[in-house]
Formats: sequence, structure tokens, C-alpha cells
Amino acid sequence: MGVLDYLRGFRVTFDKLFEERVTTEYPEEKSPKPDRLHGRHVLNRYEDGMEKCIGCELCAGVCPAKCIYVRGQDNPLDEPVSPGERFGYIYEINYLRCIHCDLCVEACPTQAITETKLFEFSFTNRSDAIYTKDELLVGDDGLPQNLPWEDWRPGEDVATSAWMRATSPAGDADYVGTVGWSGELGYGVRAPEVGQFGEDPEPPAAEVDPVDEGGHH
Amino acid sequence: MTDTADTAEGIAITVNGQAVEARTGELLIDACERNGVYIPRFCYHPRMTPVGMCRMCLVEVDTGRGAALQPSCMLTCAPDMVVETESDLTKKAQDGVLEFLLINHPLDCPICDKGGECPLQDQTMAYGPGESRFVEEKRHYEKPIPINDNVYLDRERCILCDRCTRFAKEVAGDPLIHFQGRGNGTEVNTFPDEPFASYFSGNTVQICPVGALTAKPYRFKARPWDLEEVESTATIDSVGSRIVIQSSRNKVLRYLGVDSDAVNWGWLGDRERFSFEALNSELRLTEPLIASGEGHRVTTWSAALGAAADAIAKTPASRVAAIGGARLTNEAQYVWAKLLKDVIGTDHVDAQLGDGLPADLVLGLPRATIADACRPGGTIVLCGPDPKESLGALYLRLRHAVIEDGATLIELTPRSTGLSALAAHTLHPRPGELGALARALVAGTTDDVAGVSGAAIGAAHQAIAAGGPVTVLLGRASAAESAAVVAEAAAALSNIDDVGFLSTLTRGNVHGALDMGLAPGLLPGRQRLGAGIPRGWTSVPSETGLDSTGILTAAVAGEVDALILLGADPLRDFPDRHLAEQAFDAVDTVVAVDTLPTDSVAAADIVLAAAATTEVAGTFTNLEGRLSALAQKVTPPGTARPDWIIAAELALALGGDLAIQSLDDVWTELAAMSPVHAAIDPAAAAERDGVLVTGTIDYTPVEQGELPAKDAYALRLVSVRAMYDQGSSLAASPSSAGLHREPVLALHAADFEKLGVSAGDEVSVTSARGGVTLAVQSDPGVPRGSAVMVSHLGGPDPYDLIDTTTLVTEVLVERA
Amino acid sequence: MSRLSHQNVELAQEIISRYPIKKSALIPLLHLAQEQDGYVADDAMAHIAELCDVTPAEVVGTCSFYEMFKRHPTGTYLVNVCTNISCMLLGGEELLRHVEDTLGVRHGGTTDDGAFTVEDYECIAACTEAPCLQVNYRYFPRITHDEFDELVADLRAGKRTDIPPHGTLGRVRQHIPAAKLAGVVPPDQVDGAPVWLANSEGEAANG
Repeated sequence: MGVLDYLRGFRVTFDKLFEERVTTEYPEEKSPKPDRLHGRHVLNRYEDGMEKCIGCELCAGVCPAKCIYVRGQDNPLDEPVSPGERFGYIYEINYLRCIHCDLCVEACPTQAITETKLFEFSFTNRSDAIYTKDELLVGDDGLPQNLPWEDWRPGEDVATSAWMRATSPAGDADYVGTVGWSGELGYGVRAPEVGQFGEDPEPPAAEVDPVDEGGHH
Repeated sequence: MTDTADTAEGIAITVNGQAVEARTGELLIDACERNGVYIPRFCYHPRMTPVGMCRMCLVEVDTGRGAALQPSCMLTCAPDMVVETESDLTKKAQDGVLEFLLINHPLDCPICDKGGECPLQDQTMAYGPGESRFVEEKRHYEKPIPINDNVYLDRERCILCDRCTRFAKEVAGDPLIHFQGRGNGTEVNTFPDEPFASYFSGNTVQICPVGALTAKPYRFKARPWDLEEVESTATIDSVGSRIVIQSSRNKVLRYLGVDSDAVNWGWLGDRERFSFEALNSELRLTEPLIASGEGHRVTTWSAALGAAADAIAKTPASRVAAIGGARLTNEAQYVWAKLLKDVIGTDHVDAQLGDGLPADLVLGLPRATIADACRPGGTIVLCGPDPKESLGALYLRLRHAVIEDGATLIELTPRSTGLSALAAHTLHPRPGELGALARALVAGTTDDVAGVSGAAIGAAHQAIAAGGPVTVLLGRASAAESAAVVAEAAAALSNIDDVGFLSTLTRGNVHGALDMGLAPGLLPGRQRLGAGIPRGWTSVPSETGLDSTGILTAAVAGEVDALILLGADPLRDFPDRHLAEQAFDAVDTVVAVDTLPTDSVAAADIVLAAAATTEVAGTFTNLEGRLSALAQKVTPPGTARPDWIIAAELALALGGDLAIQSLDDVWTELAAMSPVHAAIDPAAAAERDGVLVTGTIDYTPVEQGELPAKDAYALRLVSVRAMYDQGSSLAASPSSAGLHREPVLALHAADFEKLGVSAGDEVSVTSARGGVTLAVQSDPGVPRGSAVMVSHLGGPDPYDLIDTTTLVTEVLVERA
Repeated sequence: MSRLSHQNVELAQEIISRYPIKKSALIPLLHLAQEQDGYVADDAMAHIAELCDVTPAEVVGTCSFYEMFKRHPTGTYLVNVCTNISCMLLGGEELLRHVEDTLGVRHGGTTDDGAFTVEDYECIAACTEAPCLQVNYRYFPRITHDEFDELVADLRAGKRTDIPPHGTLGRVRQHIPAAKLAGVVPPDQVDGAPVWLANSEGEAANG
């Protein structure tokens, strides 16, 4: 084994020295996030301010990490929290367990829970990692609350869970582009994600399908 | 499940190409299910008459005239039937039925309590069309309307299967819900402003195949997928109905009935069904307490047990007494019996509170099971409390036996009962004269006895003399009438040929307590004191002790220094409350082992917080002597401990060692020392129908003694209990607490004139013990000369009037 | 409104005695209640339940099944306008509109004076006589709008004594002589032919 063989062993190292670098100086420099990134959840509200969550626990049932705890309760007749009989009385997500798989979003029958693109939030103890309904619920402007321990950047709070919007309620490709969801506080009826199949350059006009209004009976 | 289920003769039929043997008279749907072919259904229920309402069980059947769709729940198996449950035609029919059912059924599954355990949801997934072609507006009704205090009705979800209405009419006998309207407008509902006031309404929630009927105590509490469950036994009364305990996050949220062929057939009374609420109550005792000033302060277990041990250790054994134990598991009862009778050495131990029967009477007479009592063509002699008010699940079995199986019911009760409408002979003796009536009944006297006409006695005698098995339901119908009166009647009735006795002592695991020796003069395993020292024990008391009445009387006389209460509340539950109060004042130390803060707990010096049912494992003995398993589902609140551990710790604090480290140790010891438990495999008790403990003790009848002559101006008091009252467990259950009636004095109309009162008047009722004032009401079910009051209703109470030392309590009734 | 009157209770008891099972008398008793009040009041149903030994829920179950029992106050004259297919093709819907206009109420309603209740009815089995309507179940075949106006005027003027007030559908009562009684027995106690059969055979032989 000669010296050349020894240097040949460094070939990859030398090649890489002169290539463009992909690592960034996080956190000073942050790379843009893809549209469908799964981050911290929000609980949405209808345009009239009512909560979309009906406390059905389907999200908790489907959660593979068992990080969601929901309990329903009878809606108070004089001041209903959500349309219909039942509302989410307790809603908690334990972010030490959540794997951001978005199955909760898929399971939700009223599009109450969706995900933002925020993933930069930290805690100093375990109980702080449990977000309660107070923290998850969107504010009166329909935007997620910016909590002191979260590092929000522009754009992370707008297209909350585009994936969900791009998918028709039944997952049937015939309905791509048809809006099957209800309006949201601060946004109204949001248009579906465009260009999913590359053949749809213009965003389709939002058509509201009256059949599925969320929280229907 | 038909009664012919065990008939040996088979019928050969073909199901999906396979040869299958059906039983004679068996319905096709049952025959298929028994052979592993499940036919979907909504309306069919094995414990009710088939009606063929829902059409979901249509299958293709060829009986030789070509295949046609037929409802398998209405079709009795016949030889050479060819059945196709998976043919294209069958599938098309199932698909069509479901599509039609879903036309009007709302898709609000996410908020529906049935969602996740819903037969309609499940069968739509398995057999349904997948998509609806119905685009029109669905039918709308007001969302849930309460049809009684605990059940909500959502008519939009109803698929008109007739299960609830059939249950109400056939099983419970309370047809207060009914189909109304016709065609598309058909709905189930009650009469306007007349609620579905049935003691069994919760069963309709359990059998509803959709979410049309939901229970208020469970409303929106959880979803099926976050419930964990375990099979167990209900302990609120002595029937020991089989149940499933369902919990979520260490909290019991629901009981469901389980179909035990021997016991409850899947049904539960509402009191049983919703009794779990008391276990979750805020009132539960969670820490040991010790008297401090006017009240109690929280203390440590070592301090509380030390204080209890000190008080007991300084007292001679003959001055220590214990009352109660019916709340405990069999195992805990055994450990306590060993502590009391071996380590402490007292025989002043009684699980009953003066409202039951002598232990040797219950254990000495030949015993019958519920199935024995309900035998087709048998005769039932009801000589105890009203089963409808006290033992709900037993009431349903008896009702079925009389209506469907031709059993003959003879009532020897102080007043009419929930079964009177079904009774062939109803005889209401004057209080205190039950024994005389029983003797006359057995002998066939034609003279009037105990206020009952000779003709009625003669007719009832004919029914008994006609032969066939006779079962006497023996219990204490009235707390105002001495147990000696019932014993006298039992002695007379035991002379009937082929007679069996089914005890109807009502309190929880009281029959377990008798089997485990928590009664004066008894040791565990239905053995009398004096049979020597049992294996595993070091000593036994030398003399037979006192029962509850004796203990309290002795306490008043200053002969008891330490009183231990095992889940007993003598201040409320002992029929003579004055005696109990005086006894509490006289005793030095009262140690209460309990789960809820009863009056007696409030008066106790040391309170040991116990774990309740669903928080401890073990076994239960029901009124037949049937051993069945109790499962632990959740952990006790705070530092509350299982009763057997409290006993074992107390024994250590007293310097004795019970040598019991686990429940298995109890069974090992019991198998060695108890002749009736030796042959019992604890594993068999874990089966759904449990296992019967058999064996009786010698019993010598005791005469009741001379009944004092009746005061011409007085009425004899009858004290009964109702399904709902203000007992501590019910009072701690929010759903049941408000369901009790208002206290009234019920009299026969003929007594009104004699007393110069009219219905609704306030009257004063006075006995030698005390007096109460309450409204008077006419009741045709009360015989002349008797005055009926219900105890524990939270107001004027017969327990303030009763003198337990006499055979009967006479009262004077005057306009207040 | 009210329970059955003293007189009607006597009648009710006579009716009940004709049946081996008390519950069988429900329909005649509901007719009786409707005759008394013009509709079947809740209190009357509760009273019938007491008389027949059933629960009020069972009575309301029977009552609500039958169209001819009204559970709310109904006008003296009940006008049922058929709008099923034959009548509809021959002007039933126009007739209904005319009836509504004339009386000033929508179908399902009752005029303020309590004289008329209008109902949009399903087929009344008079398709050959379309358009047809009924007033207190008396047929008015091929009725024109003018004829209806005339009928209303006559009814208001009290000229149509052939049309009894609403609620008297079951008024024709059978006072069956003892000899003609069916001699009904509970089904499980039947042995042999019914009494009335022997009676009528005897009559046939005599006649």
C-alpha cells in the first residue's frame, strides 16, 4: 500500500471541500418550509366565531402517539360554544408525544383541527408541553396565537395545513378543486390548493358545497 | 334463547352449503349464530319476542318451494331448510334495507354517544351500500328530549325497531313508551307530560341499536374507543347481576348488563346501572380520619390504625363488637371474621342491622336458586320484601316466570307489591300474624286467619297442594315486624313437599357475610361455633355472641366499649334509631370502616377510608349462594385501602398476624377450613354464571312467642323500603338522588273514617318510641288495620317509631 | 280539555263490557271522547287508559295512528279536499286553493269562528267522481267552486241537517239485545263455535 493509495482515500473529502454547502447556520439562517409542513396544531372557528370542534374524540382515537385528550360536553343552550349539541370541553395535545402525522386532521369531521407550519417551540418542563384549548384555539382574527415560547415567522400561520385543503372530504379524486369545507374566522371559505396535478394553473373559484357545512346534523 | 334450547332432538338444515344441526323450535337466526354464521339484525333480541320489524335479517330460504327472502328472526327451523346468508339476493336485500334506514337517520355519528359501538354504524360498514342516493332533506325532530330523569330520546335517530317499546311492555311491564303516529311520522314517545317512569329504563338505552336512547349519566362522557372494560358483579343489591364495568382514565363511567343465564339475563335495574356514580362522588372518604373537637381531622394510616388498636387492645374481648360487612367482598369478610373472632376473640359480630333474618334460618333451610324459583309450572310463595322495590333484576325474572312460563305466584306480604297484579293469590296478613297464616296455608284451613278470609287461604292452599316444586322467597318484608315472625312462617312453610327457600335479604353481599361467619355463633364456611378451632386459626370465642339488636342494647347498658362498623350505618339503617343513638352515646370508641360519610361515620372516633367495589378484586355471594367474581377496574381514591388490608394491618397493630398476604392466601385457608368451600375452584367463580356454594347447617325452629293483644285504637306499623330513597349510596349518585318519593302514611280507605281523617291530611303517628307527622294517603294495597311507611326517604321515618324488641310496633294515628 | 263526562263513563263501561279484553274497546272509546269534545283531549285519553287498564302511552299510540282522531280542537265542519292523482288532474289543487281562499285559512287550519277545518287529504276513494271533497266524511263529488260556495253558505245558515257536526262518526251505537250478543270469551278459553253463529243459523232456519 503506497502513499497514493493513502491520498486516494481522501478523494471524497477533497471533492466535498469545493462543493456548494447545503448546511445552514441555523438558527441565524432558516431555510424556507414546504407548504405542507406539519407543525403545531390550531383549533379553528367558524366565521361567526363559533368553535368548529364538537368534542367527538375522533382525533384522539386515530392518534398513533396517543397525545390528544378530548372530552365533550353538552353545549350550554344560552351561549353555545359550537353548533349542535356537543362541544369540545377539554382539548389537550401533548407535544412531547406528537409526531405531527396529521392523522387527526384527516379524521376531523368538521375541519376543526389543522396544522400550522410552526415547529420551533420549546418548554422547560413536561407540563408546559401540553397545549390546552386556550392555547390551541385561533384568536378573534382567525390567526393562531403567538405564544411567548414560540418562534413564529411570516407565512407560517396562513396556509394552515394545505394538505387537508387539497384533499376532498372523501379522498375521491373526482372532487379535486371542489370546496367541501366551511368558512373560517378571518378567512371565509378558503380556496383549495392549486396545481396539485400540474394541470390547473388558475386557482378555481371557491364554490361552497352546501351539503357539507361542518357540524351538520 | 328459547326454553327448548336444550332439547336433544336435532333438525338438519343447510346453511351456506354446510350441513348444520338446529334444535327443535329454534329460530333460524339463533341456529345460524350458534353455528358461526352471523346474520345482521336490529330488532331481534334473544330475550324478547321476535317481531320482524327491521327486515335486516332477511336471508334466502328454500323450504322446498323455491328460494325466497324471509326474516330469519321470525322463522323456526324446519327439516331440510336450505339457507343462503351470503347470496347475491340476500346481499341486495341487506343493502336495500340499510339504504332505507339511512334515509332518515342523521349522520351525526361524531357527536352521538352510540358512535363507535353502534350496530347501525357497524352493519352499514359491513353490509351497507356505502353511498346514499337520497339527496332530499331528512326528517327533523327536536334534538334530545328527556323521557325520564336519566334517559334522553332523539327521535331523528330512531329506526323503529321496537326494542325499547317491547322491553317496556314485555320485560319491565311499564308500557309508558309507545309508537305514535303512522307511516313516515311514526315515532316512539311517551304520553304528553307522563315520563317513562320505570325502574328499568336504562336497559332500553343498552339495547337501542342506534343512538336514539342515550343515558344522561354517560352523556358525552367518553367515546367507546377510550373505554376499557372488565366483567364483574353488581354489588348494590344481593341479586349480584353480572355487569361490565367500563372506565376511562381511571374513572368508572358506565355499567352495562351482561347476559348471565343463571342470574340477570342481561337486564339491570336503574339503581344498579347508575350506582357507579356514588363511587366517583366528591363525598368519598379518601383518607383516614380521627375525631378532633366537633369534627374529624385527616391523619395517617399508622396513627389511625394505632389508635384503633389501642382502643381495642385495652378492652376485654367480650366488650368489643362489630356490626356490618355486607359491603365487603367475600375475601375481606373472611379476613375480618378471622380478625374479630380469632385475634380479638369476640363473637358480637353481625353483618345485618336488625332488618334481616337470623343467619341460621337463611343457612339452615333448603335453598333454591333463581332458576328453581322460575321453573315453568312451579309455585312461588313471596314471603319477603317487594322484589320490584328491592331486588330489581330478580323482579324481572319472576315476572317472566309468571307471564311466560306459567309459574303460580302466591303473595304472603304485609301489603301489595309490584307483583300483585300477576299473583294468583294475594294474602295480606296482619303484621305479626304471618306465621299463623303460613300454618293455615299449609294445613288448608278454611277459617279466617290473620285478617285473611278462609276462602282465599283455601284457594291458595289448593295451588300448593296441587304438587310441583314450591319456592319460598324468604325475607323481611317489614322492618317493623320482628324476624321471629318470619322465622315462624318459614318453619311452617318448610313442611311443604319439594320446597326450596330463596333468601331475599337485600343488602349487597350479606349472603357472603353469612357464609364468612360475620354473624353471631358462626364461623366461615357455614359452620357453627363450638365445632372446634378451624385449621389455620388459633382460637375461637368461647360463647355465642349478640346480634345487632343485642349489641346495641348491651351498649346502652354499658356492656360494649368498642364498636367497629364495617360499612354499616346503624344511626340510619338500624330500624330502632333511638336505640342506635343511645348506644353510640354510651360506647367509648367507634371505629368506622367506610367509603362514604354516613351519619355513623360522622359520629365515629376513628374513620378508616375503604376502597369500594370496582376498586377491589374478589368474589361476591348472591342470594342464591352463588359465588361470582368481582373485578378491580380503577384505583381507590386518595389513600383508601381495601377492607382486607385494613383488617390485616389492624391485626398486626394488635400484635397478631393473620398470615394472609394475598387473596390467594384467603382461598387456600378457606379451602382448608370450610367444608362448603373446599370443593370450589376459585377459577370457576370467574365464569359468567359463577358457581353455587351448597350445604346447609342444622336449624331448629324457634317459636315467635305470644303476640300482644291488639289495641283497638292502634294500627300496626309496616315499614318497607323503596327502590329510590335517601340511602347514603343513592344520595351520593346525582342521577338517582332526586328520584325518591315523598314520605306518606298509607292506609286502607276503610280506616280513614274510623280515624276521622281524609286523604291528604297531616297526621301524627305515635308509637312507644316516638312520633312523626306526615300526610296520609289512601292505598287499596294496604290491608285494614295496617299503616305503611317507607323508610329512608329523608323525612318522617318509620325508623323513628320502631321498637325492635317487640314482635310488632303499634302506632296511634291522629289528625295533627 | 276534559275527562269523559259521567254519562259517557257509563256508556264507556257498557262498551267495554262487550269485549273479553278491555283494551279492545279503545277505538270506540276514542270515538266517544271525540264526540264529547270535538277532538280527543289528552285528559280524555288518560281517562280512557284508566277505564281500559292500559297506560296513557298505549292509548295515545292507538289514537295517533288513526287519521280520523283529531288531537287538537277541530271545526264543526271538517273539509277534506282530495289532491291525489285523479282529483289533482281534474282540478283538486285548484279546488283546495279555492276552499282556502273562501274560508280564509290554509289547509291544516281552523277558521276563527271554529266552524271549518280544512285538510289537504290523501285519496278518499272517489277517483271516478273527481274532484271530490268530504265534509265530515260526507262526499261531495265533482264539486265546482260555485257549488262549494253554496255549500258553505248553507252550512253557515244551518240548512244542511244531513251533515252532523264533526266528531259524531261513531255515534250510531249498537244496542245489541242480549240474545244477539256475540258471547265473546278470551281467545284462550274458546271451546266450540261462537254463540252468534248458532243464533244466526237458527234465524236462517226460521226465516
